Amino acid sequence: MAERYAKRWIRDWWNIFCHELKQIFSDGGVLLIFFVAGLAYPLLYNVVYLNGILEETPVAVVDDADCAESRRYIREVDATRELSIAAKCMNMDEARKMMEDRKVNAIIYFPRDFGDRLARMETAKLSLYCDMSSFMYYKNAMIGTNFVMLHEIGQIQVERYSLAGMTAQEVSQTVKPIGYDDNNPFNRASNYSFFLISAILMIIIQQTLFYGMSLLVGTQREKNHSFASLPDQLSGNGVGRVVLGRGGAYWLPYLGIGMYIAFIVPAIFGIPQRGSFGEILALLLFFITDCVFFSMTWSTVITRRESVFLLFLAISPICLFLTGCSWPTVAFPKFWKLFSYLFPSTFGVQGYINLSTAGGDINAAAMQMKALVMQTIVYFFTSCICIYVENWVIHHKEQIQERRELIAKKAGIDREEDARIIAGE
Amino acid sequence: MKEWKRISAVARRELRIIRNRPLYLVGSIGVITFCTIFFLTFLKGGLPHDIPIGLVDEDYSTTSRNFSQQLDATQLGKVVHYDSFAEAREDMTSGKISAVCVIPKGMNDDIQAFRQPKISFYINGLYFVSGALAWKDLLTMVNLTNGAVQRQVFRAKGYNDEQIMGMIRPIDIDTHQIGNVTTNYNYYLTGTLLPAILEMIIIIVLIYSLGTELKYGTSRHLLNKAGNSITTALTGKLTVWTLIFSAIGLILILLLYHWMHFPMAGSIFNMFIAMFLLVLASEAVAIFILEMIPVPRLALSIGALYSVLGFSLSGFTLPLEAMPPYIQGLAVAFPIRHYYLLLVQEAIFGTGFAGWWKEVACLLLFLFVPLLGLRRLKNAYINQNYPKD
Repeated sequence: MAERYAKRWIRDWWNIFCHELKQIFSDGGVLLIFFVAGLAYPLLYNVVYLNGILEETPVAVVDDADCAESRRYIREVDATRELSIAAKCMNMDEARKMMEDRKVNAIIYFPRDFGDRLARMETAKLSLYCDMSSFMYYKNAMIGTNFVMLHEIGQIQVERYSLAGMTAQEVSQTVKPIGYDDNNPFNRASNYSFFLISAILMIIIQQTLFYGMSLLVGTQREKNHSFASLPDQLSGNGVGRVVLGRGGAYWLPYLGIGMYIAFIVPAIFGIPQRGSFGEILALLLFFITDCVFFSMTWSTVITRRESVFLLFLAISPICLFLTGCSWPTVAFPKFWKLFSYLFPSTFGVQGYINLSTAGGDINAAAMQMKALVMQTIVYFFTSCICIYVENWVIHHKEQIQERRELIAKKAGIDREEDARIIAGE
Repeated sequence: MKEWKRISAVARRELRIIRNRPLYLVGSIGVITFCTIFFLTFLKGGLPHDIPIGLVDEDYSTTSRNFSQQLDATQLGKVVHYDSFAEAREDMTSGKISAVCVIPKGMNDDIQAFRQPKISFYINGLYFVSGALAWKDLLTMVNLTNGAVQRQVFRAKGYNDEQIMGMIRPIDIDTHQIGNVTTNYNYYLTGTLLPAILEMIIIIVLIYSLGTELKYGTSRHLLNKAGNSITTALTGKLTVWTLIFSAIGLILILLLYHWMHFPMAGSIFNMFIAMFLLVLASEAVAIFILEMIPVPRLALSIGALYSVLGFSLSGFTLPLEAMPPYIQGLAVAFPIRHYYLLLVQEAIFGTGFAGWWKEVACLLLFLFVPLLGLRRLKNAYINQNYPKD
């Protein structure tokens, strides 16, 4: 008996699996999402963020001090990686005009008493005006001018301390009582693309899978071919087979797409791949399995082919924020933190960054892996429940239609009249 | 007169369609409401604070404890203590802490004896904002500690505080952050993100609205109502949608710059103009996509791919200058790019028309694009000879 059941189960599973694969590969829209978007989008985003580093942000200088120190400061600012002196302006009005014309993104202003104050051994102040239209400009302006300032302070201190009667050794000890050594081991040049691309790659896997599946599911529902009617043919108890059979049909092509996105794309564009192949693959398997059941659950609300784009396209940028790769997780409001647990991408992205880009071992992604497994279990069961519910809805279509008519009547809407006006006779 | 009647007939028909399919209102008003609530509450903090910084204290001295207390007391940082560097590094790799700071053994003695000890810090640059802020915080702390040591030296030598300031801080930078004084990420991101999402919604909803006429074969009836003129048909449909989208846009502007007090150097009325132009230009893009590909499902997929790119190519996060030249040229084809440039001129510099007339001209140019394919769309509407689903 058990053996017969198992045989039957496997046969049904195989049939559903093949049927779904056939559906996927005979639908142009789904193929466009899976294979054109899934394969080309990672490349496109890599090209957009190819350089990833903003260098030589143009700066205007207004030098009212016109002394040796200010000139040296300007030369040093020009020499930084972050900034380049684009113009020396006569006055602030001119510099301001240049900033408004977006020819420069920052202004450095040396007041008239800059040199005098230095000569009097007081604190000399210079002013930095930053264009806040992009924080990258601000970051560059701050880093560039502050590093030059720290360097200059060191130089001036040497002069002043010697004048205060210190010996050369004392001077060097007092100028820098504590040294520091800063490292950015995973992203040495503060490259914008390293973290963003790693996040986008995983989100592309999740979103294309979700949109593609919803497209297919919506089409079939429109044609009254919903997969939820399948358990009927299997004498009412085939939910597990349906979920796993359909899931397998998406899982298999996505294994290929996922490996392409996680391994080949970063290699092409020189995104760091520091992790071990096996560990990243393990994460990827968990992530894709999770994405399949996630998509299956949420695609239940899609009743027509196109509606997925209208309802869920805007979720992609939100998913990107919820991964915590830009806005830190510690700053998430409580509610949105819980909300972020709904998406496989939240854990998939963090795990991928920790394993592949930062090169941690499997412990670095242990928390994320556990979360992915829990999510998978939950979404598997919700997928099953959704099939039950949809099956019920299919069986009670007429009652639901009656209910709708009733509500329409109560609200004073004449649905037939509407149909006539919209579509003619 | 007859023309007006036709337009209003088409518009009334559109309203009935919207009433019949809740998807339209959910997809436009519902989605933008959700996104607005999301971004405004998500980034409410403005600037992250209490970023976890791992501290490995190998010194166990008053100086090192003082350092860690001071670091913990900064608004940006929050200290997490570790016994070994290996442990701290593991937590940094897994993203639990944003940086690790190592205080070397014997630091206190070395400072007293002027042997110049070195504090090492490691930041995780893969969690971008938190990494950068942790780095800034640590750098500030080290410099402050240096200053404190120097001050003690000069106090011992009998200098007064004013002289000491000149000694330890000969140069100071007075930073003016134009247009965003508090480095508020909410002001910075939401002001462009929400219009970008609106652009996305407009493109998708409009392609859908025009495409369903083909899908359900109602396009001939539509043309019939419009006196067999595609211009009239589009005018009627667009009247309704322009009103809806403009209303959303105006509410967004009011919400951001009036009620939420986002910085606005110029005038809020100019932003109304900008938003209205963004709505029109996005509509034009939607129509153009459907004209070129009168297959609803394909047009929607293309519209989705196009509008998602707008977020990157508007250049408000990573500036366009840092992208390859051929991508920079491509950005011109996105209305949100021009909106962002206009927003910068108005909100940050308050230049008025003189500063943003070029962007207005660009946005207006978008309106001519759909004219190229009107005939094609009309033929598709009459013949319905493209795949329907």
